Amino acid sequence: MLYLELFIQGLVQGSIYGLIALGLTLVYGLLRILHVAHAALFTLGGYIGVVVTNTTGSFPLAIVVAMVAVGLVGMAVYKLAYEPLLHRPPYIALIASIALFIASEEIFRIVFGPFGLSYIDPPLQGQIEIFAGFRLKYGEILVMGIAIVMLSALAWLSAKTRTGIAWRATVTDPEMAAAFGINIQNVRYLNFFIASALAAVAGVLVALLNNLVEPTMGSVPSYKALAIIVLGGLGSIRGTLVASLALGIIESFGTIYVGHLLDRDALAFAFLILILMVRPQGLLGGK
Amino acid sequence: MMTSAPSHTPVLQVENVTVRFGGVIAVQNVSLTINQGELVGFIGPNGAGKTTLMRVITGIVKPQEGRVLLEGRDLAKDTINERVRGGMALAQQIVQPLHELSMLDNVALACGGAKTASVINSMFYTNREQERDRARSLLERVGLGEVTNALPATLPLGYLKRLEVARAMALEPKLLLLDEPLAGLNQAEAKDLADLILTLNKGGQTILLIEHNLREVLRICPILYVQDNGVPLAFGAADMVMKNPEVRSAYLGGHA
Amino acid sequence: MAYEITLLTTMAISILFALSLNFISGFCGQISLGHAAFLGTGAYASAMLTKSSIPFLLTLPVAAIIAGFFGFLIGLASLRVRHDFLAITTMGVGFLFVGIVRKQDFLGGELGMAGIPSPDMSRESFMVFCIILAVIFAVFSLYIRRSWMGFVFESIADNEDVTRILGIDASRFKLAAFVIGTAVAGIAGALYAHHFRYIGPDSFGFVQSVSVLAMVIVGGVGSVWGVAFAAAVLSILPLLVQFIDDYKLLFYSALLFAMMRFAPDGVAGIVQRIFGFARRGS
Repeated sequence: MLYLELFIQGLVQGSIYGLIALGLTLVYGLLRILHVAHAALFTLGGYIGVVVTNTTGSFPLAIVVAMVAVGLVGMAVYKLAYEPLLHRPPYIALIASIALFIASEEIFRIVFGPFGLSYIDPPLQGQIEIFAGFRLKYGEILVMGIAIVMLSALAWLSAKTRTGIAWRATVTDPEMAAAFGINIQNVRYLNFFIASALAAVAGVLVALLNNLVEPTMGSVPSYKALAIIVLGGLGSIRGTLVASLALGIIESFGTIYVGHLLDRDALAFAFLILILMVRPQGLLGGK
Repeated sequence: MMTSAPSHTPVLQVENVTVRFGGVIAVQNVSLTINQGELVGFIGPNGAGKTTLMRVITGIVKPQEGRVLLEGRDLAKDTINERVRGGMALAQQIVQPLHELSMLDNVALACGGAKTASVINSMFYTNREQERDRARSLLERVGLGEVTNALPATLPLGYLKRLEVARAMALEPKLLLLDEPLAGLNQAEAKDLADLILTLNKGGQTILLIEHNLREVLRICPILYVQDNGVPLAFGAADMVMKNPEVRSAYLGGHA
Repeated sequence: MAYEITLLTTMAISILFALSLNFISGFCGQISLGHAAFLGTGAYASAMLTKSSIPFLLTLPVAAIIAGFFGFLIGLASLRVRHDFLAITTMGVGFLFVGIVRKQDFLGGELGMAGIPSPDMSRESFMVFCIILAVIFAVFSLYIRRSWMGFVFESIADNEDVTRILGIDASRFKLAAFVIGTAVAGIAGALYAHHFRYIGPDSFGFVQSVSVLAMVIVGGVGSVWGVAFAAAVLSILPLLVQFIDDYKLLFYSALLFAMMRFAPDGVAGIVQRIFGFARRGS
């Protein structure tokens, strides 16, 4: 039963990675920018989630507020930080993004204090027994549920709606899309809104699972999510999801079996480097 | 004229090359020989597999069957830089100047083959004058003598096409591959560049010219190779090739 | 006086370290987000050796060789992956280094190594020694830039595929850049370990990799003078101004962001624009 336990824990962790990494993939697919600062939005989501829950007592409201607020901040990040850099070599935007991320960690530390915040009355702490001796918290089930709902909604949005089709057209060929009268600027704003809102949800959920938000909460996920989208083949949504779940599961098993050699976070990169040397285009990436 | 008359020493031999991408045949059983001093025009409609065959010759695409020989030597194991060292030079269809370097240094780098052959040795040379002198005369030869100190970004496409040719010539190739050098040029520019290609050939340079511009190809190339849908249609003296009914139908819309 | 000596030594080590990255990223155009791992490799290698009573000076070549060997492996990786993929791979190498070191008891694990012996010379001599090494490498860098190796590096940084079409074996040149750059980072690491006399996994983490990249970029990618200047200023600023020390990271990152946003070609670019120099004097 240990295997199954590890597997399910891996899925929970993988769902969170998926929510974060998907936003990164959306940004990369559209703008070819490795958006490290994405993880700052994830942390911001966590802070908003805890603050709103603690002041209003409503956890669902906190999720909605976090999504909308962080979505708007994401749009601002695009407008103020990335748009002016689009015509520069890609490493410029990457480094700007890293700088922005480190700066925001510092700002979180200054504004909210270095020790982090917790839910006064953490919601969804009940557990159910999945099978003998193995329990999952409601929160963990919620994580997987929300991941499935959000990602299905996104798949539906991109496949079936006009907006989604415009978005995909812009990803494939921006000039052609513009020629067809698609407002590329609006597509980019929408892209950043959705990506950031997904990160915010992930932030609120992680804050719930750990019952803690701290300034550095984003640092590990930020670089790991980069590893994931690279593994997934940069810009491939399906690849990103597969890589997220795979990494969650590998970490879950890895900490048990090779944890004495290298820590959990290094494991992701060992896996990444290994895969890239064999398949430089990523797991599911095309040539 | 007489000194540069084509001999029958083969420079490039393409032997029974077939390329498949997945299940699709991109190039089927192509054989082609270019002799010392020849100027061969390689034509074909869109989707004829011209680019694929070109990539087989430069080594970017590996053929499933057949082989490519340069002066009788099988190139199968050679990377692109080794092929270039072996005597093949390429002027690309999409111009790719080194943007940070002046026009002169773009060519001078190509002139410095002896100094860049070994990583260790390259550390011990600093003098570029000899290479720059040669580069200057090459740029003059292709009509770019006035812009040697300019940065490529400041110059129009016609100039950069010539830079591609000069850079390839700097490698002193046994075989010069020109990939659609006339594409994107207006009629007058295309004629000028075609004249230059003809002049290079008269100077003894063996050239394979892949080109869409039928008018200029027919004007300068004594030998033609035609390919359509990856299948070779005709290869030989230009006037004979253009009388070939299959070639005519391929060009006049006789195929789907 | 002791304070000034510490300051100058720190500065010299930072300049050496930043120039070693400049060799890879500035000259040859291969981005690295994990360069601190090589500083760390050299630091740990050298510290292990001096702790087993091997003379400090003898450990320098060993540190260079070990770091250079790992650099060679990363160079091999750079032949497989490029651009964004390379950025992430090198970042991964940095995390891997920290992740592995953390778990090794013989390297001090999480706690790091304390009590590293002093480098068999006076603090003044050590400072002079560090300065001499930094100057030697700066001169070497300036020379390489003028050489045909530098010419090829410039071409690879510009367009690797074209470099190959010119008959140049770009792979070998890239490997050379990685080996030289990481070996020198290894030497800088050996100096670092014996300057601070304490090293731990967090001394060589991602923040350090970004900081050194910041020095290269703020100085102006590829410009030896610009990078040396930026490394000198950025390394001692936090030591000079206590206020900045508390907000060191915020200051660094804000500066880096501002540079990227408003002057991506760095200090060297600003100087060139002010004085209207030619784009790249040769």
